[in-house]
Amino acid sequence: MADTLPMRDTARREDAPWLTLKMREAMEAWLFISPTLAGFLIFFGGPLIAVVWYSLTEWNLLTQQATFVGLDNYNDALFRNPDFWHVVRNSVIFAVGLVPLNMALALVLALALSGRFAGVVVFRTVFFAPVVTSAVAWAIVWKFLLQGEAGFINQILALVGIDGPNWLREPNWAMAAVIVTRVIKMVGLNMILYIAALQAIPRDYGAAARLEGASGWQIFRWIVWPLLGPTTLVIMVITTIGSFKVFDHIYQMTGGGPENGTLVLAFYIYQQGFQFFDVGYASALAMIMFVIVMVLTIFQLALRRRDT
Amino acid sequence: MTAFLTRRRIRIINQVCWTVALCVAAIPFVFPFLWMVSSGFKSAAEIFGSPSLVPREWQWRNFIDVFNHQPFARQYFNSLYIAVIVTALTLLVSSLAGYALARMRFAGAALIALLLVTALMIPEEVTIIPNFFLMRWAGLVDTHWPLILLPTFGPQGIMATFLMRQYFLALPRELEDAGKMDGLSRLGVWWRIALPMSRPALAAVAIITFLNSWNLFLEPLIFVSSLDKFTLPLALSNFTDPYGTPLWHLQLAATSLAVVPILVVYIIAQRQIIESFALSGVKG
Amino acid sequence: MTSLSLSNVKKHFGRVEVIRGVDLSVDRGEFVVFVGPSGCGKSTLLRMISGLEDISSGVLRIGDRIVNEMPPARRGVAMVFQSYALYPHLNVRDNMGFGLKVRKAPADERARRVAEAARTLKLEPLLDRFPRELSGGQRQRVAIGRAIVGNPEVFLFDEPLSNLDAELRVHMRSEIASLHKRLGSTMIYVTHDQIEAMTLADKIVVLRDGLVEQVGTPRELYERPDNLFVAQFIGSPKMNILPIGSVAGALPAHPNRASHVGMRPEDLKLTDPGSGLVSGRVLLSEYTGASSLLHVELPGGEVFLVAYDGQTIDADTALALTIAPDRLHFFDATGRRAT
Ligand SMILES: Nc1ncnc2c1ncn2[C@@H]1O[C@H](COP(=O)(O)OP(=O)(O)OP(=O)(O)O)[C@@H](O)[C@H]1O
Ligand SMILES: [Mg+2]
Repeated sequence: MADTLPMRDTARREDAPWLTLKMREAMEAWLFISPTLAGFLIFFGGPLIAVVWYSLTEWNLLTQQATFVGLDNYNDALFRNPDFWHVVRNSVIFAVGLVPLNMALALVLALALSGRFAGVVVFRTVFFAPVVTSAVAWAIVWKFLLQGEAGFINQILALVGIDGPNWLREPNWAMAAVIVTRVIKMVGLNMILYIAALQAIPRDYGAAARLEGASGWQIFRWIVWPLLGPTTLVIMVITTIGSFKVFDHIYQMTGGGPENGTLVLAFYIYQQGFQFFDVGYASALAMIMFVIVMVLTIFQLALRRRDT
Repeated sequence: MTAFLTRRRIRIINQVCWTVALCVAAIPFVFPFLWMVSSGFKSAAEIFGSPSLVPREWQWRNFIDVFNHQPFARQYFNSLYIAVIVTALTLLVSSLAGYALARMRFAGAALIALLLVTALMIPEEVTIIPNFFLMRWAGLVDTHWPLILLPTFGPQGIMATFLMRQYFLALPRELEDAGKMDGLSRLGVWWRIALPMSRPALAAVAIITFLNSWNLFLEPLIFVSSLDKFTLPLALSNFTDPYGTPLWHLQLAATSLAVVPILVVYIIAQRQIIESFALSGVKG
Repeated sequence: MTSLSLSNVKKHFGRVEVIRGVDLSVDRGEFVVFVGPSGCGKSTLLRMISGLEDISSGVLRIGDRIVNEMPPARRGVAMVFQSYALYPHLNVRDNMGFGLKVRKAPADERARRVAEAARTLKLEPLLDRFPRELSGGQRQRVAIGRAIVGNPEVFLFDEPLSNLDAELRVHMRSEIASLHKRLGSTMIYVTHDQIEAMTLADKIVVLRDGLVEQVGTPRELYERPDNLFVAQFIGSPKMNILPIGSVAGALPAHPNRASHVGMRPEDLKLTDPGSGLVSGRVLLSEYTGASSLLHVELPGGEVFLVAYDGQTIDADTALALTIAPDRLHFFDATGRRAT
């Protein structure tokens, strides 16, 4: 043939028989993944091992020396320091208050907004807006609204004759305020996930049930809710784990107070590690948090496996 | 049934009820933003006066004082450039790794995927203490490096990796095969075929990563101490008098400056942004 | 002269062996068609030749070189995909020229080759369109054009026509045939379609479960199938198979070890009841225009297919069938041809 192929010219020189196609592919794959892998080892794998070691030591601020103290830090947390259980209690109250409220509201909003009527986009945009806003900004504004006597909320309540509490200065009210404002901030995310799941349900299901005379509630109870099962599970676990991570919101709104009334685990770790420089104790707390999250994750995987 | 209550009318009444209910429900979602902006224009005296959405006296000076109180422009810029770098890096790193996990066969792929999944779930708080010592050892405390490196390679970056992987898996394989037959290297297939076809996933990763970096708080709080290295969230929490009492009018003016541009972009691109979050959540 | 050869080529995905030792030699300029049931490994084998899948063991030669570990683009092969796989963001011209561009061929040569291929395939009016602006048949032609531009030694086609409607398929089939004549290149072609295989092929390779059942010209496969599988796979409607014991009439001389006899529906003739090789009653008569397909139930319960082009026959009619002795196929107990 008259034409010489460009590809044939190079072929003879670069056969490289010592490198099989398979090896070449594996090599390239490792190259592709190496930045992620290196980052994982340096900023996650290594630190995870280090935190185990730290949790077994006592850190001397003056000499900058670590001494091995065995399980002392864990003993401190679990048996000696009453703060720990107070913090765990706060974290649990926070989660137990936040997760159901968030999920129920998300589901109701999703049901209302999964259709296609005028204004649906506006409402979705509104309910989702706090999600893209920084938690710090959100907390600043709500802290402002919830000021004592002069705060906006209390001024409004005064108009209808209610003497509102000093929200962020009373432990129980502070916890409630943090939970509710956090729900308002994050509910849009779960709403979106529920809407996506609702829209994935074939319309025929509802139509068929309606032909058989099912009411709206029956359709929801017996068709929609079961079909939302996997989504509900995912949302539940993501939201629960998320509730254990909350830091910026609380830092800005209550600073863990009043009287440690909103001191949750993530905040406690920060406080012990970076304000009181008790590295060993903070690391033990971090390990405990790690275990809690792992248990939740495995629980989720187990549930999902059972489902499928 | 009376003639008045036709099916059509019931439907309309039903819709009106829902719309009213939704409007009421929307108040706590919208009002804080309005109040934030309005209060940002009020004087320190008026701010706790009798509530009014429209300031009696527009105090534009707040928005100048914000920049005098601390190097707010510099802090604003810090947030912006860090978010841009984190986004670019995350796109690069996560799409490379995601591609390898989706398309390439190599021993250990399953193990790596499993390792990454664990990191996906673990909160930053768990590893933040050793990471602090690591950064201090590397001399990177009070620089912006930790704010770039930790999010890029942390849970957020890994989430991006899985999102990209998921998307690559759904792409038609024959197109990439055609690229290989045409002489593209792996890198070439990734860059010239897989990436151009993955715009929605790349956009989702970019949006979520940018917002996440923009709103990052724990890392700046721990790693940055000089005022001119602050990022926005940290700067916002810093509008206080020397005794730690918030200077509300300044703080709210600054918060407005930080939040409103994001909201404007969000409103313009709300569909794209909301879809991005849905995409990232569905795979979870 | 050999253009391409495989010897004892195997492929496994994890534990599963998908290609279990294939030997094949393809001459330069030959048109080879792979057929076989779904999942038998046709695509896998083709992708191994292209380099898109690696070869677990065995030797693949293209020309005089062993190319097992050579990257796809250097093997001198081009592939036409079932989904066409045109780059959606490039127009037809750039789609066709992409391979040359990647290989850094000079722009003028690229333009010349694209123009040449476009002329061959009558694609000139489409050169500036994007794939989404083309019909299925046009896309298919562009995909073939892209393969031509690289001037490969071997063309590989993986069910290239299966996404087209019946009429276009017939048309494209003849275009591929004339392209083959004009270029004289080696072509390997995977299809599900019997007619495509029979009309296009110089040589058909029948695959089953990763093994070659038979290699031969279409005529050889049709007239002298090596075994029961090929006998039933090639030809439509399928060949009728009977145990020798069930044949009522006298069979002509045949090897002792023969245990089954095969008769093609189109070879069977109606004859007077009482005579003939087999007899039975009509279950169903399917009229297809040019002829009818009779389903005839034998006394033993087996159903025989008969191609018939005479008068209408009602269901339940009793009839007898006969066949020319040289149209009988005998098979032994293991299914191999026994002659
Ligand atoms: N990447 C892969 N991983 C694991 N198994 C595979 C892979 N690709 C193909 N297989 C298996 O190899 C066997 C052969 O597949 P192949 O696609 O070659 O069949 P085919 O003959 O082309 O079928 P079809 O006619 O349906 O296209 C199938 O059983 C298939 O499941
Ligand atoms: Mg196939």
